[in-house]
Amino acid sequence: MVVKGWWWKFSGVIIFLYVIIGGLTIPTRSGITKSQPGSAQSGDSISMTVEGYNTHFLSAGLNRAWLKLDSLYAIKAKNVNATSEVDISITFDIPKIFPATENVQPLTLIIDNEIDGAFVQPNSLFVTLSDSSYSDKSQWINAEMKAFNKAKGIKFPYRNILNETIRNTFFHVALWFAMFILLIIGLYHAIQYLRTGNFDHDIQSSSFNRIAIMYGIFGLITGSIWAKFTWNTFWTTDVKLNMTAVAMLIYLAYLVLRGSSSDHDKRAKVSASYSIFAFLALIPLVFVIPRLTDSLHPGNGGNPALGGEDLDNTLRLFFYPSIVALILLGSWMANLLIRYERLKEKIFMK
Amino acid sequence: MKKFVLFIVIQIIVLQGIAAQSGGGDFLRSVGKIYSVVAVIAVIFIGIFIFLFRLDRKLTKLENHIKNE
Amino acid sequence: MDLIKVKDIFIKELSIEFRQKFALGGVFLFAATVVFLIFKSFNEINPREWTILIWIILLFAGLNAVVKSFLQEKKETYLYYYTLFSPIDLIVAKLLYNFLFLCGIFFIIILFMGLFSSFPVKDFGLFAIGAALGIFGISVVFTFVSVISASDNGNATLMSILALPLVLPILLLLLKISAVSVRLLTDTAIAEDVWLLFGVDSILLGAMLLLFPALWRS
Repeated sequence: MVVKGWWWKFSGVIIFLYVIIGGLTIPTRSGITKSQPGSAQSGDSISMTVEGYNTHFLSAGLNRAWLKLDSLYAIKAKNVNATSEVDISITFDIPKIFPATENVQPLTLIIDNEIDGAFVQPNSLFVTLSDSSYSDKSQWINAEMKAFNKAKGIKFPYRNILNETIRNTFFHVALWFAMFILLIIGLYHAIQYLRTGNFDHDIQSSSFNRIAIMYGIFGLITGSIWAKFTWNTFWTTDVKLNMTAVAMLIYLAYLVLRGSSSDHDKRAKVSASYSIFAFLALIPLVFVIPRLTDSLHPGNGGNPALGGEDLDNTLRLFFYPSIVALILLGSWMANLLIRYERLKEKIFMK
Repeated sequence: MKKFVLFIVIQIIVLQGIAAQSGGGDFLRSVGKIYSVVAVIAVIFIGIFIFLFRLDRKLTKLENHIKNE
Repeated sequence: MDLIKVKDIFIKELSIEFRQKFALGGVFLFAATVVFLIFKSFNEINPREWTILIWIILLFAGLNAVVKSFLQEKKETYLYYYTLFSPIDLIVAKLLYNFLFLCGIFFIIILFMGLFSSFPVKDFGLFAIGAALGIFGISVVFTFVSVISASDNGNATLMSILALPLVLPILLLLLKISAVSVRLLTDTAIAEDVWLLFGVDSILLGAMLLLFPALWRS
């Protein structure tokens, strides 16, 4: 399954360049990093100091702010006063009576201006109700909530804690996807080898597996760098991380197996069977077990990572090309290995 | 196998460097942690360079073998 | 698959094992010594350590035992088998033998652990099902790996290098199931883990049955 020509190598490089340049130059959307105070009593008049990220409070003509209770009710800020591009103080009159009877109500802060668009901080203010015996909605509005501005230009979404590292999606996460595709190509050749006994399939299978293992190790290292900046540790007890580490151990054993034997034919047969076995052992490891336990990774336990709605359309613009580019580059590297092995075969088998 | 041991050793050294950096001036955390993205891309490139370097050496050996025949 | 032939090979394995009493004794002695060593160094083994230790002792005692089963025979013997039995019969018999052997070791470990410290299992049914499935998975992996290392000039070191990472997923599930069965954890969805373990077992078993004939020909 060797593709002829140079076009795919060339397009791999071009796509990867596109991902690196685009992925590093497109700015992230505005967000709220900090807000003070975190709690209040109902009926208070409070002044919140808010620290924004990537915001243009001074340059923007009109800053507006709301505190939102749920999809229906909100209150508008009484006074919004920008002190710098990233600092703003907002005054709210919190009503005495809430349209709800729970004792503590979490409120979402929304800020909107015409440059940055609208952005939110969920659960930014917890209000303790002084009188929760009955509910009333007269002091709550929802009319003006619809007139949001849209942020200008293409921007990556802002996630608290992640900040700019959201761009690592294109490199770290895409590496895992590319690794899997390369492993599947390797698996295909291993099966073909066992079926046909054609030695060329063994060369191809081992080359693709090697590159996939290389990607896997890249993935672990880039992952631990990313973890250092978001979870503040190189290695966590996170299931997904540890399961992939186990998977890498299984595949490193594959390399040991290939290195251990000198008999050509036997090595090919044994390593082909082992790689099929290893791939099957990998499936529960990477896909099933992590789903059963809580994880820091996407889709588990509601933490600021990527998954589902978090992978928005702007990210997709670079994420999928990145996978394609890494697969193409990986196949190129595997191709080099294959050609080297074939030459060696020819010279030493004479 | 040697390749991976070498690679991991180098990466550990790099990671230690990053750890020392982030403990001190918080350089890698500045500007919204953008330098961690740069570090990730650097890791990928260093890895690919190590791969190329090793392949180059293997090919040189093969060439020498052909020459000596 | 011919059940009578499977039985024949199985009995042959058993008789070889009982003829070499020292080897059999060696494995059991290994288990007993390790348990005693652990008992002396911990003095009191709490349930958490108990669940982890039984599996680790089983793993290493079993590894020692299974390595022998394929490596003790010579190339000529294999050639002889090749003319006599179909590969599926042979592998099923070996697997069954390994499974029962590992179960035996497991019982001895439990016995010694109970003797020296305690038997903290509360949910006995769960523990038994989990242990049976887990030991079956471990024996599938060990059998497959011992076939590989036997066809690769009988390299015993290779066996442990290949086998240990491959049993890790099974072992992790097993640890969780046994932790629940001694009430270290409470998990209402533990049945899911048991099914998962069953799934892993059957995938590995299927892979082994498919791959063994190809390996066997060499």
